[in-house]
Amino acid sequence: MIRCIKLAGFIAVLLVIFLPSYTLAREFKFSVSPAEVHIDDLSPGETSEFELTIHNKEELTHNFTLTTFQPPEEQRRVGRDEFPDDSWISFSSAEIEVAANSEAAVNVTLTIPREPKWAGKEWETWLGVAAESSDLLGVKLYVRLLVSTKAAIGVGSNAGLVAGIVVGIVLLGYGVYYYFRRKPKPE
Amino acid sequence: MKTVITSIVISIILALMLSLPALAQESGTITITMTGVNEISISLDKTQWLPGEVAADTEYITSPPIEWCTLTVEGNCNVNTFILGEDAEWVDNPGAYKWTLSNDGTNGENVYGLQFRISGDTTRGPLGDGYVPITKIESEFWPYSGGSSLAPGDTKQFGLKLLTPNYFVGSRQMQTQITISAATA
Repeated sequence: MIRCIKLAGFIAVLLVIFLPSYTLAREFKFSVSPAEVHIDDLSPGETSEFELTIHNKEELTHNFTLTTFQPPEEQRRVGRDEFPDDSWISFSSAEIEVAANSEAAVNVTLTIPREPKWAGKEWETWLGVAAESSDLLGVKLYVRLLVSTKAAIGVGSNAGLVAGIVVGIVLLGYGVYYYFRRKPKPE
Repeated sequence: MKTVITSIVISIILALMLSLPALAQESGTITITMTGVNEISISLDKTQWLPGEVAADTEYITSPPIEWCTLTVEGNCNVNTFILGEDAEWVDNPGAYKWTLSNDGTNGENVYGLQFRISGDTTRGPLGDGYVPITKIESEFWPYSGGSSLAPGDTKQFGLKLLTPNYFVGSRQMQTQITISAATA
């Protein structure tokens, strides 16, 4: 009985409309530059910024979305590890409208947390730029972002800062103490 | 009084002497290389396919079958290209009904298959006929198996094959998207 119902349903639904039929086939062109960004000697705790330029080569205004993407190991450059956390990367605008035959820039900010475990690393991640479209075929362009961090966090620099402040406070304190000790007491 | 002032001045000078180099070190050099003026771009000469009304458990192939769309490398750098599919959703109410994209080009109940074939490629794919399943995991479009990447000006022609679910709810307009992506080689 169930098979009969299923067969009846099957016959009833033979025809559907697959994919919208109102849009004509058309070519679509845009570009992104630079295609590859290398950031070297970034210390954990530091921030770096760069610009991506999206060039809309169409006669119509288009919206573009920016995302991060973790490429599979076989697509990464040799010796590069997976980028640990996409939240370290932010875009000035994750969605941008670019006028016809124009270009627009998006600022990308990269911040590595100040933790010793992120020192001496070589990572790769991809930044994807896609044109919003309801067509069957869409295009996405990836920018390779290769990041290397310094071998060690500047421990010595912190020690110098702390030592300077401590010495300053001690000397200041001694000066104040000396002043009050030498000050003649009122009779 | 003179001693106090001297003490304070000396202490400030010492504190600055020790801390300024340390602060200067905090803003060390970061090298950002943009690799010249590399520009990445690919184009497709068609972005839409109109099968219209379709029947269950039936294959639909673009026309011409393997030279339907041309991908052209437009930028000034060599690229590797990838392809990604997704579930087809009911246009009127995307969250309410969908066809799940299979991971091997086959079909099932409310499960559909998508495949592509590149012109000149007759051996690729699970059946060795050149047709490769399009899945929800981004996979190699060209090159594959460590072949040569595409250089600026290179083109690749390809076609698509749709296998409809063997059972689905009828009279519903379905929509999906196939994303072709590129990264520098």
